[in-house]
Amino acid sequence: MAPPARQFSLLSLLILLAAASSAVGVGEEEFTEELLLRPLPDRKVLAHFHFRSSAPPAAAAGRHHHLFPKAISQLVRNFHISELELSFTQGRWNYDQWGGYDPMSTNSAKPPGVELWAIFDIPFTEINATWKNLTHTLSGLFCASINFLESSTAFSAPRWGFKLNPGNLRYGALPREAVCTENLTPWLKLLPCRDKAGIASLLYRPSIYKGYYHSQKLKLTSSRSGGIILDQTLTVVLQPESFSGKQLHSTDGQLHPSWSMEHLFNKRLSGKCLVSKSSRIFVEIEKGIVDKSGSEILWDNEVFVLSTTPDRVLKEIDHMEVQSSSLYEYDVSNYNDEKPLDVGITWKRPRIWSCTPPPYHASRFLMGGGNERGSIALSFLSTNLQKHLFSGSNDCLRKAVVFQVVPWYVKVYYHSLEIFIDGSRKDISEVLDKIHVTPSEDKLSPGTLEMLLRFPCSMQSATLTLDFDKGFLHIDEYPPDANQGFDIPSALISFPEFNSSRTYPGTDPFFVSPLLEDFKEDGVVKSYTEVLLVPLTTPDFSMPYNVITFTCTVLALYFGSLLNALRRRIGEEESELKKTAAKRGLIPLLLAKLRGKKIDKSNSGSSPASPSGSKLLLKVVFVAIVAVVFHYLSNS
Amino acid sequence: MAFGRRHRGPSLPALPFLLQTLSLLVLLAFSSSAAAPTAASPAAMHNNNWAVLVCTSRFWFNYRHMANTLSLYRTVKRLGIPDERIILMLADDMACNPRNNYPAQVFNNENHQLNLYGDNVEVDYRGYEVTVENFLRVLTGRHESAVPRSKRLLSDEGSHILLYMTGHGGDEFLKFQDNEELQSHDLADAVKQMKEKHRFKELLIMVDTCQAATLFSQLHSPGVLAIGSSMKGENSYSHHLDSDIGVSVVDRFTFYTLAFFEKLNMYSNASLNSLFTSYNPSMLLSTAYYRMDLYERALNEVPVTNFFGSVMKTIHTDSAYTGFLAAHDTETPLSINHGMLQNEASSRRSNMEEMKEAQLRSHGWTEILQEQLEGKKTEIVVMYGLGTMGILLAISTWLSM
Amino acid sequence: MAIRHYWSMAAAAVGFRLALVLFGGNLHLASRPEVSTPLTSLRRLAEGYWLKQASMSPYSGSMYHGSPLLLSVLGPLTSSKRSGGHHAHIYCSLVFVAVDFLAAMLIRSTGRRLQMARNRSLKSLDLTRSVNSSVNVSSGDAASLIYLWNPWAIITCVGSCTSPIENLMVVIMIYGACSRLAPLAAFGYVMATHLSLYPAILILPVTLLLGYGPDSPPPKVFLLKGLSASKVGMPENEISTGQRDFRQFAWKPVLHFTLWVFIWSCYVLLLSSIILNNVGGRQEMFEKTYGFILTVKDLSPNIGVLWYFFAEVFDVFRNFFLIVFNMNIVFMVLPLAIRLKHRPCFLAFVYTAIVAMLKSYPSAGDSALYLGLLGLFANELAEMQFTFFLFFGYIGVSLLSPVMHNLWIWRGTGNANFYFATGLAYTCLQTVLVVESVSSMIKHDRKLRLLVKA
Repeated sequence: MAPPARQFSLLSLLILLAAASSAVGVGEEEFTEELLLRPLPDRKVLAHFHFRSSAPPAAAAGRHHHLFPKAISQLVRNFHISELELSFTQGRWNYDQWGGYDPMSTNSAKPPGVELWAIFDIPFTEINATWKNLTHTLSGLFCASINFLESSTAFSAPRWGFKLNPGNLRYGALPREAVCTENLTPWLKLLPCRDKAGIASLLYRPSIYKGYYHSQKLKLTSSRSGGIILDQTLTVVLQPESFSGKQLHSTDGQLHPSWSMEHLFNKRLSGKCLVSKSSRIFVEIEKGIVDKSGSEILWDNEVFVLSTTPDRVLKEIDHMEVQSSSLYEYDVSNYNDEKPLDVGITWKRPRIWSCTPPPYHASRFLMGGGNERGSIALSFLSTNLQKHLFSGSNDCLRKAVVFQVVPWYVKVYYHSLEIFIDGSRKDISEVLDKIHVTPSEDKLSPGTLEMLLRFPCSMQSATLTLDFDKGFLHIDEYPPDANQGFDIPSALISFPEFNSSRTYPGTDPFFVSPLLEDFKEDGVVKSYTEVLLVPLTTPDFSMPYNVITFTCTVLALYFGSLLNALRRRIGEEESELKKTAAKRGLIPLLLAKLRGKKIDKSNSGSSPASPSGSKLLLKVVFVAIVAVVFHYLSNS
Repeated sequence: MAFGRRHRGPSLPALPFLLQTLSLLVLLAFSSSAAAPTAASPAAMHNNNWAVLVCTSRFWFNYRHMANTLSLYRTVKRLGIPDERIILMLADDMACNPRNNYPAQVFNNENHQLNLYGDNVEVDYRGYEVTVENFLRVLTGRHESAVPRSKRLLSDEGSHILLYMTGHGGDEFLKFQDNEELQSHDLADAVKQMKEKHRFKELLIMVDTCQAATLFSQLHSPGVLAIGSSMKGENSYSHHLDSDIGVSVVDRFTFYTLAFFEKLNMYSNASLNSLFTSYNPSMLLSTAYYRMDLYERALNEVPVTNFFGSVMKTIHTDSAYTGFLAAHDTETPLSINHGMLQNEASSRRSNMEEMKEAQLRSHGWTEILQEQLEGKKTEIVVMYGLGTMGILLAISTWLSM
Repeated sequence: MAIRHYWSMAAAAVGFRLALVLFGGNLHLASRPEVSTPLTSLRRLAEGYWLKQASMSPYSGSMYHGSPLLLSVLGPLTSSKRSGGHHAHIYCSLVFVAVDFLAAMLIRSTGRRLQMARNRSLKSLDLTRSVNSSVNVSSGDAASLIYLWNPWAIITCVGSCTSPIENLMVVIMIYGACSRLAPLAAFGYVMATHLSLYPAILILPVTLLLGYGPDSPPPKVFLLKGLSASKVGMPENEISTGQRDFRQFAWKPVLHFTLWVFIWSCYVLLLSSIILNNVGGRQEMFEKTYGFILTVKDLSPNIGVLWYFFAEVFDVFRNFFLIVFNMNIVFMVLPLAIRLKHRPCFLAFVYTAIVAMLKSYPSAGDSALYLGLLGLFANELAEMQFTFFLFFGYIGVSLLSPVMHNLWIWRGTGNANFYFATGLAYTCLQTVLVVESVSSMIKHDRKLRLLVKA
């Protein structure tokens, strides 16, 4: 234990305690909070909150937690989760404008709605049942309809298209799930300071939900040796209104809106969450903004000025050993109520820059009209990134992995896969390296498509098309707003040859920042495509009784009239016999009928009631038996 | 025919359930007689409050229904019912609806003074989950074992429950999401089951729909009090339109209910009677309906906090605590041992793989063939087989000619 | 009396089919719900074949529900270079044209045998002049031409679905039974049942055909004839031969048939399990073919009524109605067999029509088959009622059905009820056809008896 300095305030004591415990090493629960702010080329601002709680291995600490949320540790223990990621997203990440080749887009860009995947550490046969219970628990925990992922039609088990695994991964997505305050609140309750203190106090709901993109993620990793690590990130893209008036520069466009934290979140930061080990704010400035100013990057230069002096400046080096951006770091523990932190940026002159896009711009769309069939097209447009990056020859190949889940009512014909490269049709085997298909089973499981493609480097565009038939559902399977259509979840495209990791030279070994650690991890460049909306034909919802009665009437008509035709002869013949026997002349029709009836009755035997009576009885008994048997069967 | 599509969820297997309830009742009788000497007789004490708040309408133009429900939610929370004892069902997402000018906010008044969708809303059932089936499951407490605690109504025989519903209704029904209906019989059935399962001591049903009074016509369980916004043949109207939001934001009945409650705090002693008399038909544009014949206590002695607030009485017992007798039949939530995980439906997929393997193994009689049929050879064998079939057919036909 | 220019007309029909296949462009017939059903769609077969090539079970994915034999016969044809022509499955279509022609030829010879049997029995009854004076067409020629020129048969043949093969198997079975070729009849029976299950109920007419021989007037007529002949004093032996024909049930061909049915089904099962050797098994095959047929899992529209019924019916009653509708087919089998046992061929036609009406995924191809068979009884059913109504009813339905489908699915201006209404009308028409043909056949028999008596 570090020597405690008694004259210090309680605050500094706590900080020191936290610092001391980190020096001791594993065995203590830790919490860190970080925020990264980044101006985006299209006049927006990205804010990325990152909270990490970690708990030591369960055996060391027992079941008591000081900082780590109990709900999560129970979750991990009950469901034997080794990895889990749950994200709630609203809006769509703009890969062209906001970047597609950096850790942010790889880790934090998520498909709209809810996406959940988990890797379990239990025998394969128990995984589906565990998954079901997990979805229910999460739905209770996060106030969302995640329990819709329980049904086997909603989740899939990809093998390598999403993440390489031996079969213990389950993946599910709900593209239309609404994301709102009620999902954020329980998420914040997992933090030791909730939203009362520290960086999380910036999360003013109306301003967050006004943003263009909002993604709230929870990532769990658990292992026997390392304990549980809970990463909570919240990524928002906000539009600051320029408070310095809309001044236009005649030379090169509009000045970017200046902003500060108070401006974005309606709040300033008055100190850190006291139990956090570290509490930092980074401002990331792309290299494109200050490329002329050389390696020395000042916080006050001719392009912009930061409102507060940063505590440190870090350089960010990307995978290709090129400096991509610089980070201005602020330590929140230096600020308090009297001296609140309000990081901001003021632009001095207009600047146009761009983020690095992904190697291929992937998009997905539907083709065809009508409600019977259609095609899904997946198109890749080269962003000519490799020309910049690898100015090598053109006869190389680039890999792309496609992972797509298709609900069962979109019945995909996998044999109809066609590939067009630069507009001309190519043989599938030329491009397709590896394919793994799990076809959908009606009302049982969705279809999963995993493909490894190889594109020639010189390729400008590629299009893959798959035909499908639209399914017809039972009337109860339609949602209340059936006419809105059904969603096909986003496809995930990853480019395994492109790595988005960053490195930070010059940081001392004691500098621990989970956010930057995340950025350092090897990340394959990924991008999610659009969610597709497929309109399906609807039956008439008000018709069930009519349909039942009409159909049964027609079938009864068939049955009755055919039976009648078959047994009519006897009666006719007999009456004819009678006629010939009687040899009467012209009798009025009515009379004849009456008599015919009478004769029939008298003819049918001594006891006319008994055969018909017994027949009726027989019928009743038969129907009763059928009913009993049916009831028994349906009950058992 | 018009409203034909009633839910058919839990009504069919009612028989075994009734039997279960009966046996439970017998058990209860025994246990209560055994526990008679103890101070707390299970029938008497009011010891907790629950609220079930339901908005059954989907789509943006039904904003006001969600605002109604959230206003009530705010009120009961303000008066002391904690979040874990409130089941909130909202059929659509209005707060973060793209049409909402005020993201993450819901207002029930034009002046936008009060954000109902504050920082601490916990929605238990939302969107497509708000169905008649789920509603009845919540009331009767018959859930799948995986359903978490927060989505269950874990009330007992000492509970006072407030059930508030709003949406579009008609004669003896309430629409859920424009798709299915809750009929007065269903509601009465559910309440009866609740009574038999000792899930409540007193129940206040408050309904704000057109012809709300008709929804109570089938209720027969004692201890139930019902308020409806309008009589049969009457409509319930919205209160006012917010031109910023573009739709009506609150219904009249709820508006005046809230107006009454805004004056109260947790400790006030306003009686239910004063609430009932506060409804003015000329303001509501409909006649509020009260059904009191199933309720024994005099309304002027019952404070509104009986239902809308929460009691925090300390129960002093001489012997060991024996409460929550009725809660025994509900499965313990979140008991996830591996025995229970053997759920047939969802492990079907993995079973199928096993089955396939078993099938492959079971082909004993083709085993010899199989050894020779590797890969492409199968095709050839089949082709030869088909050819042989043709030849065999020709020969046999020729022979029999 | 053969139809003149028969061969030129038949050739023209085949030529017309070939022209449609080769030069018809993309008629999109394959996706018409009236033409291809989930069971017979060639597109689904191609998907099944693809899955099998990818060493998966062809039945995984709820796409293919047909026989594994078809998969290995037609599968390789579907995968061959789709880019070749505008017609996607041209080789398969050529196969179907050949199959259709073969079926027509078999119908023709079946008709000839029936004609011969009819003439023989009429001769023995001494009614040749009185009956044949009204109408006498070569029913075999007529039936095969009807089959060849039936527009529904043509679109079925051109529209890439496997129903022509199923129809061929049924025709083979009837032909084999008519000519007392037990192995052939057994082959047709086993294959037809294997392909589409419902022809299983044709076991009765086939047995009767093998046992008693082709259609003839009811035995009562011969009895009457015998009585009247003995009165008149006709030579005894002629009557006795006539009577013996009907009295004696020939056990030998029936036993042969049973034996061959056993052999063929073993053979088919063996082949299927070889095909599905490493990909799924026979149990999956039965689940995905017969199970799929019996439980009406696919709710996509077709010209029947069951799809909409099961899309709308409450889940609680689904099993009940499944039992009822499946039993409905079986219910009438025995009464019909008792009533029409002297006319097994006609019985086969009635069964085919009933199956086409009540099967879970009906298509135009099924109707094409029974309409073709209907031609075999042109002489007997000459006095059928409502023929005008039926004829225009069929035309009306076949015109309205695509229109309603288009309004509902493609334009979104109609709704499902429109299309369902045509399905209802179609089922009603078929009901009328079945009932009328049965009753007019019964009438015809009575007329014969009256003639004999007279």
